[in-house]
Amino acid sequence: MIVGSAEPEALRPGAPVMHDFGSEPLSLAGASVLQLLCEVSGGTQALLPPALHPTLPGVVAWQVYDFPTSPWGPFRMAQTRIQCRSGTRPRGLLVSGVVTSAAAGEALTARWGFRLAPGEIDFLRGYDRVHASVRSPEGDALLAVGLQDPVMLPPGAVQFVSGVHPADTPSGFRLVQVDALHEVHRAERGDPVIDYFDAGAWGEDRMVPTYPISASICTADVTLRRLRFVCRPGEMSFTGTETVAAG
Amino acid sequence: MFELSVPRPFASGVERTVIENALEQIRVADSLGFDTAWCVEHHFLEEYSHSSAPELFLTAAAVQTERIRVGHSAVVCIPEMNHPIRVAERAAFLDILSGGRLELGTARSSTWTEIGGFEADADATKQYWDEYVRVLPRMWTEEHFSWEGTCFSMPERAILPKPIQKPHPPLWVTVTSPGTELDAADRGIGCLGVAAAGFEEQERRTKEYHRRIQLCDPVGAVNDQVATLNFLYCHEDLATGAERGMQMLGNFGLLNSHLLFTREAYPTRAYQTLGNLAPGKGRKTESGSPADAYGIPEGMGIGDPATITAAIKEWESIGVDQVNFMLNAAEILPQDQVLDSLRLFAREVMPAFARGRRDGSGA
Repeated sequence: MIVGSAEPEALRPGAPVMHDFGSEPLSLAGASVLQLLCEVSGGTQALLPPALHPTLPGVVAWQVYDFPTSPWGPFRMAQTRIQCRSGTRPRGLLVSGVVTSAAAGEALTARWGFRLAPGEIDFLRGYDRVHASVRSPEGDALLAVGLQDPVMLPPGAVQFVSGVHPADTPSGFRLVQVDALHEVHRAERGDPVIDYFDAGAWGEDRMVPTYPISASICTADVTLRRLRFVCRPGEMSFTGTETVAAG
Repeated sequence: MFELSVPRPFASGVERTVIENALEQIRVADSLGFDTAWCVEHHFLEEYSHSSAPELFLTAAAVQTERIRVGHSAVVCIPEMNHPIRVAERAAFLDILSGGRLELGTARSSTWTEIGGFEADADATKQYWDEYVRVLPRMWTEEHFSWEGTCFSMPERAILPKPIQKPHPPLWVTVTSPGTELDAADRGIGCLGVAAAGFEEQERRTKEYHRRIQLCDPVGAVNDQVATLNFLYCHEDLATGAERGMQMLGNFGLLNSHLLFTREAYPTRAYQTLGNLAPGKGRKTESGSPADAYGIPEGMGIGDPATITAAIKEWESIGVDQVNFMLNAAEILPQDQVLDSLRLFAREVMPAFARGRRDGSGA
């Protein structure tokens, strides 16, 4: 059995700080979600802590959200994640994200352990293509991805897996399981386009995208559920999982 | 059912040990009266399955045995992996070399690891499979064959050799996604269940399969059998059997879950479910079986002879014709324990079941 080999403490510098696990669910209606998956060179074992298992092959996922409404007004968020398994369950380890609203970013960080930096995100939706570009506040390009020639799919065809967010929590440094339910109303798949990715700027320069798999664009209502589980990053989920709230 | 899973680290000789252990298990199974040794086709699935050339493995099995049937479970019917002409040729060859003991399963693969690795079109795999199962019986039975199709075409040629079994070896399709059993029934081919469903679900699907196959438009000789996947570890002591069997089951489940399934990676209509070979979906408690106390999922061939006999009787009662057992998972059980389990099963469990329909078939 293959398990992650990264030192858990290597994930800790800059990890978000959560003072409690008591967040109420958050629903964000009418979001546009661009998701791309791409194989990476050399696998992901060295990028994951022992609590997680790599997929075969290793895959990086980018998710770019355009939220038209929220308690903090419209905002956009982009994430870079590593597809993995916690025990037998599919998960995405959050490497880091970029958010366009400071208030939204603070809330998501404090309540769900999102590791987010401020930035700018352009989200363009055309007839035959969708494109998103992410930049730092200084204007440095971080990510430019999209899809071309979308075709309609049944809403259930696109899969969204729960995230695991390394964070300093009241229980200590943990992987926080973040269940984001996506009620998809419209789903399309297109040819993936990866124009630019600065892996180091996202916090993990060993991610080398090699083989684009898929790109999808969905319209969905997204609900971040109340936190239920965290996991000690240094041991497998069977023994390392801790309950933090009633499911 | 042989996946040929190989434990890490992949030291020199480990794969050879796995293959030789599996062949020994088949020789013992042959001597004990087991019906069929099935071997899967997978590619790139590190640790989970190194069985990339099952036709070679089964050839070795065939020449080392006398009566056990050899099942290719299943050849992946995607042109990037196996051209249909080569599938027909290799199957006929294996049927000859085995003395007419071949069962041919068909499949379309469920992982992105494999489909992506061959750069196959994930949207079209079902269409490909449909074309394969329609041409294979004709390739085996027609003196000269030509075809203009979607995934391949060919001018008139003699596809050689022809299989020994007449009109041709039994055809099966592996069933992971719900609904594929109906595709099997409509084409008159056997239902090779490889997702471990519980009794209730399997009964519903089996009944519908048997009802529907009566109305089929067969692609060749009708094979109306239903097989299910199971796991076998049999020990005189229930607690020991449960402990070791559940260890195998858990190890298999973990290795399986780390694969990258197509549905997860590539959104498509063609994969409505994960289609994975997940064990133990059945009820885990309150079935009234002594196995409940050990958390053995419903219907598993894990435990002592009495509990395993009861489980297989249940499968038999709902119309299942064959139960195919995984015997190990990445060598987590030592070879002597696997062989002892087989022998105990043959001695204590198999006598409780009637012989099957074909010569040499049965429990």
